[in-house]
Amino acid sequence: MKRQLGGELVIPILAIVFTLYYFSTIWNSPWTAQVSAFMVGGILLLVCGIFILRCIVWLGRGEGSLGVGNLFSMDDIRTGRIGLLATTVGFCFLIEPLGFTLATFLFLFASMVILAKGRRVPFILVLSALIAFAGWAVFIWAFDTRFPKGWFEVTMKALLSNG
Amino acid sequence: MGETASLLVEVFFHTIGFWWVIIPTIFLGLIVGGIPGFSAANTIIILMPLTLAMDVETGIVFMVTLYCAARMGAGIPAILVNIPGTAGAAATPLDGYPMAKAGKGQQALSISFVASCIGGLLTTLIALATMPLLARVGFYMHSVEMIVVMLFGISLIASIAAQDMVKGLIAGFLGLMIGSIGTDVVYATPRGTMGFLELYDGVPLIPALVGLFAVSEAFLIIEKRVIISEDAEPKSPNWHDTFEGVQIALSRWWHIVWTSLIGLVIGVIPGAGASIASFVAYQQSRTYSKTPEKYGTGHPEGLIAPESANNGVTSGTLVPLLVLGIPGGATAAIMLVVMQFHGVGFGPSLFQRQPEVGYGMFMAMAVAYLFMFFTILPLSRYMSHVTTVPTIYLAPLIISFTLVGGFVPREYMFDMYLALAFGVLGYIARRTGYHVAAILIGVILGPLLERYFLLALKKSGGDITVLFSSTLGNILWIALAISLLLPVWFERRRKRQATEVPAE
Repeated sequence: MKRQLGGELVIPILAIVFTLYYFSTIWNSPWTAQVSAFMVGGILLLVCGIFILRCIVWLGRGEGSLGVGNLFSMDDIRTGRIGLLATTVGFCFLIEPLGFTLATFLFLFASMVILAKGRRVPFILVLSALIAFAGWAVFIWAFDTRFPKGWFEVTMKALLSNG
Repeated sequence: MGETASLLVEVFFHTIGFWWVIIPTIFLGLIVGGIPGFSAANTIIILMPLTLAMDVETGIVFMVTLYCAARMGAGIPAILVNIPGTAGAAATPLDGYPMAKAGKGQQALSISFVASCIGGLLTTLIALATMPLLARVGFYMHSVEMIVVMLFGISLIASIAAQDMVKGLIAGFLGLMIGSIGTDVVYATPRGTMGFLELYDGVPLIPALVGLFAVSEAFLIIEKRVIISEDAEPKSPNWHDTFEGVQIALSRWWHIVWTSLIGLVIGVIPGAGASIASFVAYQQSRTYSKTPEKYGTGHPEGLIAPESANNGVTSGTLVPLLVLGIPGGATAAIMLVVMQFHGVGFGPSLFQRQPEVGYGMFMAMAVAYLFMFFTILPLSRYMSHVTTVPTIYLAPLIISFTLVGGFVPREYMFDMYLALAFGVLGYIARRTGYHVAAILIGVILGPLLERYFLLALKKSGGDITVLFSSTLGNILWIALAISLLLPVWFERRRKRQATEVPAE
């Protein structure tokens, strides 16, 4: 299989886009805001340029292709990686309205079921509930860490303060 | 002299009497150090009411033990699941994780514990003996000298880049560029913030650490059933592996000594800290090694260097705090606040007015390391089994607890999204052969380098030759040049010798 240069070019292209954007934000700034960024950004553009040139040479020699097989493959669906990414994004958005404990429970349950391909659901249900509850007990109840709080945390606080 | 010695002995035995504080605090420190976002500093802040209610001696013992144990705890997930608990342990997985994957997690943990304990204990004793001398190091380290020290850390990017120089440099300089996000230090001009107010203070380190290491690793490990390689022999907990790790570490005692001294000296410099120390120690260890090609593949010396250095920093940080009243880091600053509440005044007169407090802090550190050696070592037998937990359970657990850890330091929901974005960047980097450690080194050292660079230029009125204007700075420049050139020279000599020896 040829070297998948399409995937390898993602980071350099991101780096070039970000560096050019960064330069645009300091173009009219005082020299103190520019000096270090122009130096670092200049070197970054240079090494990205060298890498792109190298890729062009490899493509010309037929040693590589613009494929992205090293980044995306059928394995991402088979292993449940896409599902895990979806539940992780959901976790980030749901933790504020639902609170730490409930969001963690739902995330752990959904992710583990996806990764286990629907097997051992009762075990995963109990495990997710235990881990989420332990997380609440250690971080919120014992150490009063300011995690996002929701219905569960508020109810437990009311229950505990009323004895 | 005799009076001081008898006082030290008295304080030592008195501190041992606090075993009931030290032992539970060690376990608390291991937990908070191991979870990104829950640093010793945060925990002392959370437990501030408790600390203030304690008498001064108990408070000192508690804070110092928590500080040391958290530093050591940060290395545990770094070795077992490739997730450093703090930025100070970011160089630990470079060699620790390959050992764990090869089924040598127990040995790796033992090596890390021995290096941390001996490094921490040794530097504590050296700091105690040479306190007045060490305290002056901070006075000699100005912006120019600090730039060279930073470059020592950044030159690790070159070491990491050795396998593919261009890709390594892209990763490192992309990290430096990301580290430059935020307002500039002089005129507060926002740069590269994409309009997010949350980035005006720069890119927060914990979400970067969580994303680059934890989230991206969690997405990768699900490809395998367990972290440990399938061909590695599954083992039940045994003392043999633990003692093998101890033996490996002890046989490299000199390595522990000199890398922990790097940590001590860097720890004395206010604002430098464990992340710089561990990168510098790793880079120096690789430079002067006879087998630099083994680094990054699970080489014990690559694990010893960052662990002994970041524990050397703990004692170094206390020196400017006690002698000058200048805290060398966040935890030291919080200690200063708590101690001032108890009426302890730091500075040169501390050792005349309250010698039991001044020496007591170092003694608490020494005793904590002694206790840690005997309490943590047996645990390595069981901790290493994390690598055999099925990844379908481990990956979601890592993501949920580390992402929330990214939220804790600033309590912005934005930081969780940022950690996720870094996770995607880290995943792409790992899948396409870019080193996430090089990106992180850039993110950590980028803003520091810029600050000192600007300070130097402002002082000289924009004259770049200021970088070569001090004697100490020039000595450090020469040392940097030597440490960059030596590996090249060693490599050439090795190749020449290999070609001269006829094949049998």
